[in-house]
Amino acid sequence: MNSVNQEHIRNFCIIAHIDHGKSTLADRILQLTNTVDEREMREQVLDSMDLERERGITIKAQAVRVLYTAYDGQQYQLNLIDTPGHVDFSYEVSRSLAACEGALLVVDASQGIEAQTLANTYLALEADLELIPVLNKIDLPAAEPELHARAIAELVGEDPASVLKISAKTGVGIEEVLESIVTFVPPPTGDAEAPTRALIFDSVYDQYRGVVVFVRVVDGALDGKVNLRAMQTGLTFDAEELGVMTPEMVPTGSLKTGESGYIVTGLKDLGELRVGDTLTLSSNQAEEALPGYREVKPMVFCGLFPVDGDDYPALRDALEKLSLNDASLVWEPETSQALGFGFRCGFLGLLHMDIVRERLEREYDLDLLATTPNVQYQVTTTRGDMKPVTSPGDLPAPTEIEFIEEPYVRCTILVPKDYVGAVMGLCQDRRGVYVGMEAIEQRQQISYDLPLAEVVLDFFDQLKSRTRGYASLDYELAGFRESPLVKLDVLLAGEPVDALSMIVHRELAYARGKHLVERLRETIPRQMFEVPIQAAIGGKIIARETVKAKRKDVLAKCYGGDVSRKRKLLERQKEGKKKRMKHVGSVEVPQEAFLAVLEFGDDGNSDK
Amino acid sequence: MTGVRHLYAHLPFCSSRCGYCAFVVETGGLDRRDAYLDAVIAELDAQEQKLGELDTVYLGGGTPSLMRARRIGRLLESIHPGLAADAEVSMEINPETVDHAALRAFRAAGVTRASIGVQSFQPHLLAALDRGASAEQARAAVECAQDAGFESVSIDLLFGVPGQTPADLEADIAVVRELSPEHVSWYELEIKPGTALERIGTLPPDEDASAEAYRRVVDVLEDAGYRWYETANFARPGFECRHSLGYWHAHDYLGIGVGAVSTVEGRRWRNASGVDAYVAAAGQPSQTNEDLDEDLRRRERWMLALRLEEPIDIARLGEPDHPENFDLLRTHGLLDDEPLALSREGRFVQNSVLHRLMEYA
Repeated sequence: MNSVNQEHIRNFCIIAHIDHGKSTLADRILQLTNTVDEREMREQVLDSMDLERERGITIKAQAVRVLYTAYDGQQYQLNLIDTPGHVDFSYEVSRSLAACEGALLVVDASQGIEAQTLANTYLALEADLELIPVLNKIDLPAAEPELHARAIAELVGEDPASVLKISAKTGVGIEEVLESIVTFVPPPTGDAEAPTRALIFDSVYDQYRGVVVFVRVVDGALDGKVNLRAMQTGLTFDAEELGVMTPEMVPTGSLKTGESGYIVTGLKDLGELRVGDTLTLSSNQAEEALPGYREVKPMVFCGLFPVDGDDYPALRDALEKLSLNDASLVWEPETSQALGFGFRCGFLGLLHMDIVRERLEREYDLDLLATTPNVQYQVTTTRGDMKPVTSPGDLPAPTEIEFIEEPYVRCTILVPKDYVGAVMGLCQDRRGVYVGMEAIEQRQQISYDLPLAEVVLDFFDQLKSRTRGYASLDYELAGFRESPLVKLDVLLAGEPVDALSMIVHRELAYARGKHLVERLRETIPRQMFEVPIQAAIGGKIIARETVKAKRKDVLAKCYGGDVSRKRKLLERQKEGKKKRMKHVGSVEVPQEAFLAVLEFGDDGNSDK
Repeated sequence: MTGVRHLYAHLPFCSSRCGYCAFVVETGGLDRRDAYLDAVIAELDAQEQKLGELDTVYLGGGTPSLMRARRIGRLLESIHPGLAADAEVSMEINPETVDHAALRAFRAAGVTRASIGVQSFQPHLLAALDRGASAEQARAAVECAQDAGFESVSIDLLFGVPGQTPADLEADIAVVRELSPEHVSWYELEIKPGTALERIGTLPPDEDASAEAYRRVVDVLEDAGYRWYETANFARPGFECRHSLGYWHAHDYLGIGVGAVSTVEGRRWRNASGVDAYVAAAGQPSQTNEDLDEDLRRRERWMLALRLEEPIDIARLGEPDHPENFDLLRTHGLLDDEPLALSREGRFVQNSVLHRLMEYA
């Protein structure tokens, strides 16, 4: 694919709330520029992971180069850097933004601005990007383009008339979008003569080619199989192949100033190359690295354990491979008395946790148990030292704890006025502290400070169900605050089960303990003996249920003709148990039981 | 004396297939009984070198009583080297196929133990099971057998039959107490794939209801002086089925006839089903083989041994895979010591116990 002069390059991304049509618009741009021919055109070409396609969300940033001949007769190279739309992945957004000079701000003409639209717009403004406001889905009967155009214009400080009104679905207005990119997004400003500096904005692991990094060449150029040096880590390697995404990988042999593309490194460990690092030529090194990214911190932690203990090495391999493509996933070995060997993993949020788990199970054929998600607490001991705690098991004895602090997030919720009461009720239930409220168009923007621990349980689901899906949520970390937190233990047949412990607010502990033992009684099947289930705080039992003993478990008949068949039946029973059940002490516990801790719904809080 | 001491012969002819039956049976075709018997005797001759003096013979089916006494006599005479002096010869009998004379003839032919397939004495349950006999015929057959001089009479009964109420169960219990046979086999009805009961969508009974029925049967029969010597089998002391005990003690056994299974010296084989092919094979039926290594044998021994009331003989069975769980079983009252044996409660959940002690993989 031919290169163009630097002044004819445009690097841009698309900012949009989930479902506002980002991927459809991207597809339409690829189609209009003949990058993807009609036969290859499938919905959401850029969302390459099966999971992304199924869930209709974008997880990984991607970069695609298209060529566009503008009304001025010039051919332009447009580099579209795709961005994820979910709050869990906002750090990926900021990475993409750093590789662009402009952004399309896409808003659904029937829905208007959502919480994430706001958050990402602020990120883009901070990154000094040229913003092009676009109202999508104007073909929908419920579209209110004029109303929403005024709101967007106000947000980005432009004239409402300048807001583009398009339908990515029908194709209306797409050319205007491309023309606006050419006209308003500035060309990259890098110095072609300076020593080469290329920013790594993403990386993937390809099982045949090793680590592939996506770069934006800021200064200088990359040409041929040069030896490269990562400026932060000092690692050197040969570029085995240079090229661009169209969206298939097409080798070009070189990448010039301002261009985006990929480098096949042949490295086997993604950990060796950090996203945000700067690549330079070993033979002609730049003096200063480009500003990198702020380090991503996991917000939610949980233990992942193989259902079958023999799968532990396979889980380790899978996590290693997955980390190759997901720098934000952190993990370390963890041993649970109940669940055996596994890993404590850190995630950006609940969706991220869900996706990682689903990928491990689907792509690596593992059966996993996930323990209750936790946030990171800060425990100050009576000796005066501060200890981060991400697992209830690591909580010191109550007598050694001076105080515990937990992370809070500032939640911004956009919701139609009718649902303000419902949202405030939910936030109060979840220990929220009211911050403020402001009208935006027909809606209210409500701000609350909430303990992150309350948000990561099922807050988002509850928010959606209490507002009939109308609310949108964004949050950012808002520091640590002291809270009266206690460890809630669960005992099965008298033995504490570490994997079911959780850290909860003292006032919610009784209701949650009661709810939890009830759910466990429903999930744990009868065993050959009676199994008491107890919830306890500091050794004091606060709730109890009992799973009754089996009254009969025999194989009806067995004579000479049946011996093999009965033995095989036992083998099948064993296999079934192995898949579904975990031995916790003397009790066989089905996997679902470990999910019981996740479901509080309304009752866990409201009947306190 | 070496050699196999237990012989099973499968006699597949039936007048019709019962609703719960998934055995290898041949409905109709009674004109092929002699040809079939020739093939069975041919197979017996071909396997003769494996046999020692027989302790037990079991004639199962099908409906062995449809073979009539002269054929049974011919079969028993064809066994070489022959039966021990006190050998047990059991035969399954369907009530509607026999009368007083027929039962005496079987006894005279050498059958020592009559096992009568009653299933229930309640007319609506017999109908639900598609049984050929009426309740009166069932009772009459038992009484005639008791009169015919067998050393032991056993009856087969079922619980968990669709439509069986606790009162129905009590009614069957009352008849059993009154008839007072030496031996009772009382099984839970299994709804097996391919049976008529399965085809009409019969659901298994409620778990609690079937547990209560089972426990009631055990309680009543023990109270009436029977030993609950195996999961589903009850006998007056000294009248246990020695042939079945052979299986449960994991002895070698030779099975002849269609679909019959043999286990001899670590090898197990099953004859193909299909009477025509069996007859044509003239004593060399096609077979499927299974090699049993010592580990499989050990696991089978445990599976079989835990069905029995008698003490657990680790020296004979071999070490369990998880001896560490003995303590757990003791704690919950499922295992007794001196001698080591499942407790009464343990026997009711023997399958769970087995999975705690052994790995089946």
